[in-house]
Amino acid sequence: MRFRAKMVDVGCLNHFTRVVNTISKLTKTCTLRLTADNIYFMLSDKVANGGVSMWCELSQANFFDEFQLEGVSTEANEIYLELLPENLARALKTAQNAKSLKIKLTKKHCPCLTLAAELPSLSSVSRVVTHDIPVDVIPRRLWQDFKEPSVPDFDVSIYLPPLKTMKNVVDRMKNLSNHMVLEANQNGEMNLKIETDLVSVSTHFKDLGNPSWGDDGSQGGPSQDRVPEAMAHARVDIRKLQQFLTSQQVNPSKAMCNIVSERMLHFILLHEDVSLQYFIPAVA
Amino acid sequence: MSLSFEKCARKIFCKNSHCVQQGIQQISELTYNSRSMPLSTQSQGGDDQYVLVASLDNVRNLSNILKAIAFKDHALFNATRNGLKVTVEDSKCLQANAFIQAEIFQEFTIQEDSVCFQVNLTVLLDCLTIFGGSTVPGVTTALRMCYNGYGYPLTLFLEEGGVVTVCKINTQEPEEPIDFEFCSTNVTNKVILQSDSLKEAFSELDMTSEILQITMSPSQPYFRLSTFGNAGNAHYDYPKDSDMMELFQCTKTQTNRYKMSLLKPSTKALALSCKVSVRTDTRGFLSLQYLVRNDDGQICFVEYYCCPDEEVEEE
Amino acid sequence: MDCMVMGGNVKVLAKAIHSLSRIGEELYLEPQDEGLALRTVNSSRSAYACFLFSPLFFQKYSSLKSPVFRCKMAIKCVQAVFRSLSSLEKTVERCRIELNSEKSRLTFSLHCKHGLLKTHNLSFQDSENLQAVFDKESCANVLRAQPKLLVDTVLHFPPSLEEVSLSVSDERVWFRNHVEEEAEQSKAMLTELCLSAEEFDHFAVGTHTRITFCLKELRGLLMFAESSGLPVSVYFDEPGSPVVLSVSDSVLEVNFVLATLSEDSHPRNHNDSSSKRLPAAPPPDDFMNDDIDSYLIAMETSELAGGSDWQPPPQPCEAGVSLHRDRVASGEEEEEEEEEEEEEPEEEGRPPNKKFRSLFFGSVLPTCSQMTNQTLRSQEVLASDSDDEGSASS
Repeated sequence: MRFRAKMVDVGCLNHFTRVVNTISKLTKTCTLRLTADNIYFMLSDKVANGGVSMWCELSQANFFDEFQLEGVSTEANEIYLELLPENLARALKTAQNAKSLKIKLTKKHCPCLTLAAELPSLSSVSRVVTHDIPVDVIPRRLWQDFKEPSVPDFDVSIYLPPLKTMKNVVDRMKNLSNHMVLEANQNGEMNLKIETDLVSVSTHFKDLGNPSWGDDGSQGGPSQDRVPEAMAHARVDIRKLQQFLTSQQVNPSKAMCNIVSERMLHFILLHEDVSLQYFIPAVA
Repeated sequence: MSLSFEKCARKIFCKNSHCVQQGIQQISELTYNSRSMPLSTQSQGGDDQYVLVASLDNVRNLSNILKAIAFKDHALFNATRNGLKVTVEDSKCLQANAFIQAEIFQEFTIQEDSVCFQVNLTVLLDCLTIFGGSTVPGVTTALRMCYNGYGYPLTLFLEEGGVVTVCKINTQEPEEPIDFEFCSTNVTNKVILQSDSLKEAFSELDMTSEILQITMSPSQPYFRLSTFGNAGNAHYDYPKDSDMMELFQCTKTQTNRYKMSLLKPSTKALALSCKVSVRTDTRGFLSLQYLVRNDDGQICFVEYYCCPDEEVEEE
Repeated sequence: MDCMVMGGNVKVLAKAIHSLSRIGEELYLEPQDEGLALRTVNSSRSAYACFLFSPLFFQKYSSLKSPVFRCKMAIKCVQAVFRSLSSLEKTVERCRIELNSEKSRLTFSLHCKHGLLKTHNLSFQDSENLQAVFDKESCANVLRAQPKLLVDTVLHFPPSLEEVSLSVSDERVWFRNHVEEEAEQSKAMLTELCLSAEEFDHFAVGTHTRITFCLKELRGLLMFAESSGLPVSVYFDEPGSPVVLSVSDSVLEVNFVLATLSEDSHPRNHNDSSSKRLPAAPPPDDFMNDDIDSYLIAMETSELAGGSDWQPPPQPCEAGVSLHRDRVASGEEEEEEEEEEEEEPEEEGRPPNKKFRSLFFGSVLPTCSQMTNQTLRSQEVLASDSDDEGSASS
């Protein structure tokens, strides 16, 4: 099992750092899956257990100049690691003006993901900072726990408004209530609502547009029979939604939300070559 | 909701049972509406049914000045044709008033001579800043605030960039504010300072001191703020000829102490203001008046009254 | 004592006090003929800091002609006088410091713009002499660098990190985060920064050594050095003997004396386990130019390979906990010095590390002129073993 990758472009480094920062704000620990083509950050708190799930996928070729991987075996050419994304974020933070960055799997006092950055210096010799991030290697028999989460048939799929606007509203609503109702229809309208003994607040977004999921049915898009104006709603823990919105470091080119009535919210963010999915279960 | 509503209902019940009916209906509609009804059905009828309607192009002109007095949850709103007066009190010893003149609003319609209600100020501020209270030029939140009279919620319509938020804040039984009987004819000493010079002093105040002592005198030290903390004492002296001193009218040496905990909230007003007038009357009561300029350059006032903590022997 | 500080020097004085406040809780003030000395020591007595402002630093300086006078007060009270460093620079024109020993009062008068006068009357206590004994000139290793270099260096370490290790060879300097041994280490991220000797203004290494000291005090000094733009000198020797951080110019001299961990406290398995005293990190050039075959450290594929036959499954618990535990269990477990307190969470303000002990004073005797009772007494205090709470606070 070997892994080694190198990044020299400062733009790629910044982008990768932002992705990792997003992940570290979403979760304390996560699973890093490395394949020949992709890098995945995964969190598999089961929705059934009341937790959130996350699935972030990026194409390695868009970030790395070199990427060499030997998985556990030729037929299973992948590596699964468990790590604290905060460590990775901290390591990347100190490498922001690096001339080059190397990431590799090493065996130090324990299995580590080692980041080595070559930094500019006052002399002809570069400064070198290395970070050994302890990881747990996940044995192959447990890989099956990290499948891409399947999405139940959703009732409504809608594009999100600018996340910053949504974050402002959710931040204030969180001061007022612990739960909120997110509802939307196939007519491009979405409402955020709270209600307490003191106050009721509802924020209304319109003309958001609804993504089309094709007719092949493979993605389980909203039924064609659905009345466009009919709202589908889910009541969620505001903190989970707030955490998701707060974690965002880049404005994604596409942001959408699928609602499975009274069961879950499924968020999908696309930014160039990175996709992030986030699942928040509904509460009663 | 039930508690404040019951209180309101009981009160109205004696005068006008029809109102109560309406009130109950309104509340149940409110609950129902926020479940499923689209926005358009929430404002029942035209504006003429509201006893108070106030509109602002920039909600910050209201929210900022309310922040200057936001040290307790309960705020008493009193609207007259002249505008809006919002009062917050603490321990019967401190009162803060914010005045927003009718002219500040783009629309200010009132059907009665005086309209009074009480709301939770923290909740109101969260609602007013629902879009984040952006300070980006050109991005403002518009507000339309409506009140239907006794027993009804205060309704806010906020709009920014085509997104609309509707808030219904339950109103509470208004309580009679304290009259501090602070009268300009009884004023002994008065100074007007540029706020910047006091901001520094207030930000540095020794909070281990339980009191802030204010000395005003026609002779040295003219205007002095003193603290007596764990580590020792500190005095801040402003000479009367300082260019930060816009007005100096002191007739008699007066030294009064005020509870630090009571005066601390006034720092919020100070931070927003450009000038502050400090007055004391014959009883040692303190009046702090802050002149606040809003985003559009208009002027509003915030006023704090504070009881003296104890009499100090004059030297 | 009566002295006057003008304009920009007020900020220097203020920075010095803020810097001292990072180390100790009490400010020891002593007006001497050679200038005003401000000192502090941390609660575990493992760090000492002294600023000496020469009479030329002041516009006017008169110390007491009478016998030696020393006093101490809570440092945060003095800090409060100079609370806002930014407004200080803009508004304070001069600062007068008067000491009235009869009234036990130290008065700071800040004369500000617009005629505003701020007067702070602080009470104080008489104090013993606080004088660490150290001889930086005899240290085998001396490094001097612009503050920026060291500021950039500490930026690589998280604010929560307590101790850092510094090691030197003839051409390089390594900074590493110091991680307590035992379980901690498998969880902690290890960070190492390697600098070339060329980046230093002065680089004199007599002995290849590695020392470990508290980062907090270094940060405190850097705060001052960065604002004054003065280079920082680092004098050090063997593990266990103190490291001295110095900053000086014509009107002031700053010395921070920090205990270092004694030899046996160093984790053996930090990075390469072969390291004894010498840092054994791979040379950076090679490291950056490595190729996959020569440098990748292969994990035992047999051990990790998929399938059911590789080893008995550990626990049916969470995924991925198994491997490093096995590794640690099989490997290096020969630490001799066990710390009973390790398991307890550190309280705030508690001595940062119990293993720093009597580090300043073993080897160097006080100079003859300092051989007064007070010096001896203070030395006694300072030399106490910080493992022993009782004598440390005597």
